[in-house]
Amino acid sequence: MTDALALSGLTKTFGAKRAVDDLSLTVRSGTLYALLGPNGAGKTTTLRMVAGLLKPDGGAISVFGVDVLADPAAAKRLIAWAPDEPMLYDRLNPLEYLEFVAGLWGVEAKAARAKAEELLKWLGLWENRGERCEGFSRGMKQKTALAGALIHDPKLLILDEPLTGLDAGVARQVKDLLQERVRGGATVILTTHILEVAERMAERIGIIQSGKLVAEGTLDELRANRGEAGATLEDIFLELTAPEGEAA
Amino acid sequence: MIGRPGSTLWLLHHELRLSLRRFRRPRGARTRGPVLTWVFTLALPVLLTASIGLPVGLGLRGVDIQPTPLAAVLAAFGLLAVFTLTLSQTLSSAVDALYERADLDLLFSSPLDPRAVMTVRFLGVAATVFWIFGYFVTGPIVVIAAFGHPAWLASLVVLFAIALAAAGVGLLLAAGLFRVLGPRRTRTLAQVLAALIGAAFFLIAQARNILGGAATQTAWQQVMDFASTPSLQVPGLDWPLRALLGEPLPLLTAVAVGAGIFWGASLLLGPRFAADAAAAAGAGRGVSRRAPTTIRPFAVGAYAATVRKELRLLLRDPALISQVLLRVLYILPLGFLLLRNAGQGANYLLPGGAAGLSLLAGQVAGSLAWITISAEDAPDLLASAPAPISLVRRGKLVASSLPLAVLLAPFLLPLLVISPLTGLAAIAGCAATTLSAGLINIWWQKPAKRADFRTRHRASWFVTWSEFLVALFIAAATGLLAAGLWWLAWLPAILAGGALLALRRSDARIAEALRAAS
Repeated sequence: MTDALALSGLTKTFGAKRAVDDLSLTVRSGTLYALLGPNGAGKTTTLRMVAGLLKPDGGAISVFGVDVLADPAAAKRLIAWAPDEPMLYDRLNPLEYLEFVAGLWGVEAKAARAKAEELLKWLGLWENRGERCEGFSRGMKQKTALAGALIHDPKLLILDEPLTGLDAGVARQVKDLLQERVRGGATVILTTHILEVAERMAERIGIIQSGKLVAEGTLDELRANRGEAGATLEDIFLELTAPEGEAA
Repeated sequence: MIGRPGSTLWLLHHELRLSLRRFRRPRGARTRGPVLTWVFTLALPVLLTASIGLPVGLGLRGVDIQPTPLAAVLAAFGLLAVFTLTLSQTLSSAVDALYERADLDLLFSSPLDPRAVMTVRFLGVAATVFWIFGYFVTGPIVVIAAFGHPAWLASLVVLFAIALAAAGVGLLLAAGLFRVLGPRRTRTLAQVLAALIGAAFFLIAQARNILGGAATQTAWQQVMDFASTPSLQVPGLDWPLRALLGEPLPLLTAVAVGAGIFWGASLLLGPRFAADAAAAAGAGRGVSRRAPTTIRPFAVGAYAATVRKELRLLLRDPALISQVLLRVLYILPLGFLLLRNAGQGANYLLPGGAAGLSLLAGQVAGSLAWITISAEDAPDLLASAPAPISLVRRGKLVASSLPLAVLLAPFLLPLLVISPLTGLAAIAGCAATTLSAGLINIWWQKPAKRADFRTRHRASWFVTWSEFLVALFIAAATGLLAAGLWWLAWLPAILAGGALLALRRSDARIAEALRAAS
């Protein structure tokens, strides 16, 4: 089976700072992959390069066998990108927003309308379909953005901190939605600072530090590599990402 | 900082510093050195002083100015006009102070006296409005005063008294609107009112163009007759003029009235405004509408979806509409003038009108193109979509041109019938300036927020002047074409084309510049 994502020797530098440093990893199709790392480790930069928002200085990115750098439009058709700050228009209502996003992804108008209705009902936003997003709570905005990400049925869903600022109810709804997408065959890559979420939801976990992949595998594999059978993901994460000289 | 930390003076300095920074350095503008900043800030007052203050000052040297009934009426109306203009500004500033500045919570949570906080904020509103008008008139007045009329300096005091009174009334009005309409609608109404009052003054100034010479002549005659009516010689009507000329009692009365209105409003509104500010912060900017019973068919494809989305966003932003409306209103008198001259067969006046219309169309098009292109709310969404960016940009360009086409059609289509050559030239000129403004905005786009619209020119002088220069060349070509001098029209047309070619940037360079800017 083709990998959903394959990064090879990916590098990105901002001025003197190397944000992503020769990063290589693969994400299997139909899995939920968590990319972890401390602030400034290079997670968002990596995912922005995958989504075609940043041009890497070196390396290769392939999404379901499509070279992102050679054929970005073909790759973007397969991807949905949802950053931590929802990409919304305050003065559009959710239906109008979904109409616009569907247009950008070339979804057939009639199918898009039906899909928009289905998504908004599923996310509990149907009653708010006539309200402009400017009056929405953080959770409602996040859900609207998620609906936008799903309107074209992406094969690869990339989410940067999707649970930040959400209350327990909405967070649960989002987690259910992601797992449902994975069961439906989609691939989900997410970054999160909530390690319990990665521990419970992700099949595989990658930890990056200073732009480099420092560990990767299932939770059991990570434990085995550290030689600590009972360790939590938090223990492993803190040990791997501790500043030099502070490692346990 | 001036004053003891926490004192009223200290707070006032803080308030004024923030207000002035809003004018001096918009978001995204490159920071200039302090010397250059002062040069830019002082350039216009110096120019006004030299071009108006010096000639008037020299002309009035040694002249004993006697208040006449006509001068008294004109001064009274003039001050009323200034008051209305300042009121429109203070109304807008009062709402800004509640909505745009998120520091009230910080100030109220500090040990400072809330009444002092609100008084200083109100004073800041008055001082800002005084600064806007004082910036233009102080230089000329000082020069006139230096040439033998020191009493004229009193007009600056009168201006400050008017600013105080306008701040008081503006704040009372804003608080009243809050009660009746709620925070969101108050904000919208204040912005639209501010734009309309400004526009009304421009239209009155252009009455001659709109109504024709004979009509304005009659109106002026009526003002003269009115001024010389014996029944008008009521005591006190000449006080505004006498205050402007520095007579102590009228001047003191003006100051007392201005300060009194301001003080009364502060006293009345201090605690209430604090509550309103909290309500405004909590109310958000949400718009609840009834959910539509039927869903409109979705647009087909990226282009149509972009045009529809941009038109929706343009039409739903009352603040932007009112600001664009101000620019649009400059077109109206010119359009009327053009139609009137064409109708009266005054063909020698038509080329200038066609050229002017093209130039102004380019200015409005530039504003709309900036809103749709640079002030994109979700650039990452567009960048992560598979739709070709050129297609999306074309949609934005069309969306920004459509309102202008609707506005110009009532002038251009009849013109085409009355004077086909002028009509054709004007249509071509308007289309060309609109397109060029759109293209320049695409090539030199810089991510910005819609809220920065008012200061967009200061964020990029290069784009502003490029737009203007190209539109000027096109307008010249339009005028020459309308005059039937098509062989001469080539020269400015080629210059415009050359300038556009020089300004052109490839998609890769635009993307690179956008990445660097973000």
